[in-house]
Amino acid sequence: MATAILERQADPALEARGACHLSIQGVTKRFGTGAKEVHAFGPVELTIEAGSFVSLLGPSGCGKSTLLLMLAGLIPPTSGRIEIAGTPVTGVRTDVGIMFQDNTLVPWRTVRGNIALQLELRGLDPARHTRRIDELLAAVALTDFAGRYPYELSGGMQQRAAFCQTMVHAPPTVLLDEPLGKLDAMTRERVRRDLQELWMRSRPTVVLVTHSIEEAVQLSSQVCLITPRPGRVHETIPIDLPWPRDDEVKKSAAFAGYVNVIGDVFRAYGVM
Amino acid sequence: MPLPVRQAARLATFPAFLALLILLWQKAIDWLAIPAYILQKPSDIVINAWADLPRLMSYTGVTALETLLGYAAAIVLGVPIGLAIVFLPILRRTLYPLLVSLEMVPKIAFAPLFIAWLGFGLLPKMIIVFLVCFFPVVLNAIAGFSALSEELTRFAAATGAGFWRAFLKIRLPAALPQCFVGFKFAAVNATVGATIAEFIGSDQGLGFYIQVQTGNMRPDLAFAAIFLLTLLGLALFGAVTLVERLTIPWDIGQRRARQS
Ligand SMILES: Nc1ncnc2c1ncn2[C@@H]1O[C@H](COP(=O)(O)OP(=O)(O)OP(=O)(O)O)[C@@H](O)[C@H]1O
Ligand SMILES: [Mg+2]
Repeated sequence: MATAILERQADPALEARGACHLSIQGVTKRFGTGAKEVHAFGPVELTIEAGSFVSLLGPSGCGKSTLLLMLAGLIPPTSGRIEIAGTPVTGVRTDVGIMFQDNTLVPWRTVRGNIALQLELRGLDPARHTRRIDELLAAVALTDFAGRYPYELSGGMQQRAAFCQTMVHAPPTVLLDEPLGKLDAMTRERVRRDLQELWMRSRPTVVLVTHSIEEAVQLSSQVCLITPRPGRVHETIPIDLPWPRDDEVKKSAAFAGYVNVIGDVFRAYGVM
Repeated sequence: MPLPVRQAARLATFPAFLALLILLWQKAIDWLAIPAYILQKPSDIVINAWADLPRLMSYTGVTALETLLGYAAAIVLGVPIGLAIVFLPILRRTLYPLLVSLEMVPKIAFAPLFIAWLGFGLLPKMIIVFLVCFFPVVLNAIAGFSALSEELTRFAAATGAGFWRAFLKIRLPAALPQCFVGFKFAAVNATVGATIAEFIGSDQGLGFYIQVQTGNMRPDLAFAAIFLLTLLGLALFGAVTLVERLTIPWDIGQRRARQS
């Protein structure tokens, strides 16, 4: 399959970095001051093992995007401490790949140019990574649209292009903020499969924000349930299902069991 | 109708309408018996202007030079000053509010002063053109360079790119469409500034010519000069639009796609 290629090349430098271990220690985030202060998130304790795939599930406004921004070092926590691979996050972490909730495609570049932009901004030469770009495009079925501008794409296609933009430099830690939110049901199924295959082959540490319980159960090694704002961890549920999570697994009683248990938690909170 | 014919018909609508208006003007002079010192027929305007062509041409050159120099100065100074205001907080708190308040002042009101200070030459006209062009250029540049979306700001930050790399690859191209809005606005203002500056004090140029010929009761020649001023403005606007098309073709494509 095309996604086989998404595998990180056997680059010793990359391998040495390895998959990361994320540790979130008593992290809270408040926005604003005085009467306008919003307690957005936390306090949260959470440990994410290297190479695991963790989904964050929680109602709108509970602080999922905020947590990803703090993990990438783009905004500081109000209190608490975050570590990635043993080093505290004190500023922007360039060893993290983050896909934002709103797309970051620039209108003046084609799909290919937008993917190359990630490399160029990092001081890498895109000409030396043409193969990887081609392979990523093939994996999300955008090969024929490589030369098109974002305004010529549908919302779902833009999201797939932004996904390639996030993955092109093979980050060992990947933060994805609702990456499949705008995809139609069929494409979503396919990209989920590709994402899973990619993760299984190169085992980056993935933190995925999603609103779909099925998606979380299908893709994750652990699902982390976040309470309504201010978001706290209600429970982290290990998903003990065989890999890969193909249609067979999705039809199983165990799969439905996980979906129900998680649904019950959110129903109890009155957010579902 | 077959498609090419229909397309040709659509393209020809406006020129045909213009021709009709001119024809109407031509006939109305006779029908209403309008005296020559009030208004003349388009055909007479062409004939009389032709007789004074050398002077009209040299005056067009004078006005064009004032317009172009003032316009170019507005861009050459306006964009860097806009950039400085966006990136230097101290200027943002001092120069920016000053510019916004000065924007409310009718710049053209300074014209007599500049003529009094600097005389009848090229410089005061250039300065007046500069003044009416500078504000749209600088204010749109500021708007363009400060409007980068939060997502793109974060995207650039997450890559660890330094200031200049992020500037060249993200901030600059993102700001260009808004900058061109300012450039086009200024292009429209430029000939207005030059004309008024010449009205106030000059001994050559199309504005000077209009004033003299109006005094001579020669509306035909005044109209010829107005026509040339219009061409001058159109040429400047057209040139800026062409540069825009070459610099940011992606934005034109995007705008078209949004319209359809
Ligand atoms: N820059 C900000 N200033 C003030 N409040 C903010 C800011 N960013 C986020 N918030 C608040 O923090 C809370 C969490 O926001 P966040 O975007 O992290 O939610 P989310 O879980 O990602 O929601 P969604 O699922 O809708 O994307 C919200 O209540 C929001 O109003
Ligand atoms: Mg969010």
